[in-house]
Amino acid sequence: MRNGWDMNPHAALAIARIRRLGAIGFFMGLFLLTGCKTEHPFVQSAVFKDSHEITIAFAGPVDDAWAQTIANFSVNEIADPDIFADIAAAALSRDRKSLTLRLTDAMNRQNSHTVMLKEILSDGKSLGTARLTLKQPYFGTLLSILIGAMIIQNFVFSKYLGLCVFFGTSRKKSTAVGMGITFTIVIVFASMLSWFLYQFVLKPFRLDYLQIVVFIGLVSLTVQGVDTIMRKVNPKLFKAFGVYLVLVIANCIIIAVPLTLAQNEYNLYESLMLALGAGLGFLIALFLMSSVRERLEFAKIPEAYRGLPIAFIVAGLFALSFMGFSGMSLF
Amino acid sequence: MDPSYINLALGGLAVLGCIGVFFGLGLGLAAHKFAVEVNPKVEAVQALLAGGQ
Repeated sequence: MRNGWDMNPHAALAIARIRRLGAIGFFMGLFLLTGCKTEHPFVQSAVFKDSHEITIAFAGPVDDAWAQTIANFSVNEIADPDIFADIAAAALSRDRKSLTLRLTDAMNRQNSHTVMLKEILSDGKSLGTARLTLKQPYFGTLLSILIGAMIIQNFVFSKYLGLCVFFGTSRKKSTAVGMGITFTIVIVFASMLSWFLYQFVLKPFRLDYLQIVVFIGLVSLTVQGVDTIMRKVNPKLFKAFGVYLVLVIANCIIIAVPLTLAQNEYNLYESLMLALGAGLGFLIALFLMSSVRERLEFAKIPEAYRGLPIAFIVAGLFALSFMGFSGMSLF
Repeated sequence: MDPSYINLALGGLAVLGCIGVFFGLGLGLAAHKFAVEVNPKVEAVQALLAGGQ
């Protein structure tokens, strides 16, 4: 009997192959994500178990006596190599392959830590000293930068940046969305450009004191470049963007992001996430604000408050509600 | 004044000048390559009108 599941053998074979490739890809991805690579061949992984515990997995059993000696281990944040965390206890699992270090004080898991295991002993044989680096899963960090810039530390509602453009273009929903999208595109370009210039020109030549001048130039360069190219390549989109493309220069978020990147020494991916988060956060802010202001047109507002005054009050209320996100940590 | 500061400042001028020239040329070439023909009358009329912003 034929049913929907019957298919010709070639198709079935092809699908099986795709599935197998998918599975391999999935496990490769998982491998990359979990970061199984450690700096010592005998140590398979070192991860934060919770805020007080670190678990280290070995390739083979280690000696009990070695594992019980707390002096063999040291834990410190990479940024503070001379401040060692107090290790309260070290416990070895029953198969002697997994070691748990318990610390007296809670660790800040946002920061990378260094764990030193001195002279690992396995069956009485010394395997040398292992120096391990502990990090949060990297995609988690990237995602928390993105969400952080977008919502938790929204540039408009919690840092009060870019207010001029924010109030100027949030009267109608369509213009607000247009401005938000243009802004996101430009800020991503400008931030990437400033990151490259900062890392590869300003820092090597010790010119980082000129960063503000350079970043302002880069922002105007990006806007001018996008303006010139878009005018020719996509006149329709150019018309839709209209005056907002030039207005982007007047937005201070676009200069705040490169300065933040430079200050925090973000790498390329982190910079991309911050720029994207800032742009999308601005888009969200504009959309929310324009939705309210469209309704305010029909509301009974005291005459003195009509227009901008009530908009400022609404923005303040939004800022208050966004304060609800503050202090949130994702990973 | 410490000569190293002067060197740093001069080096900065040189590097920033190079960056400026590089990007300026880039923008100029882009403007040349992506030039859009505009009716000269439009510009003439716009120059006569009062500029709002």
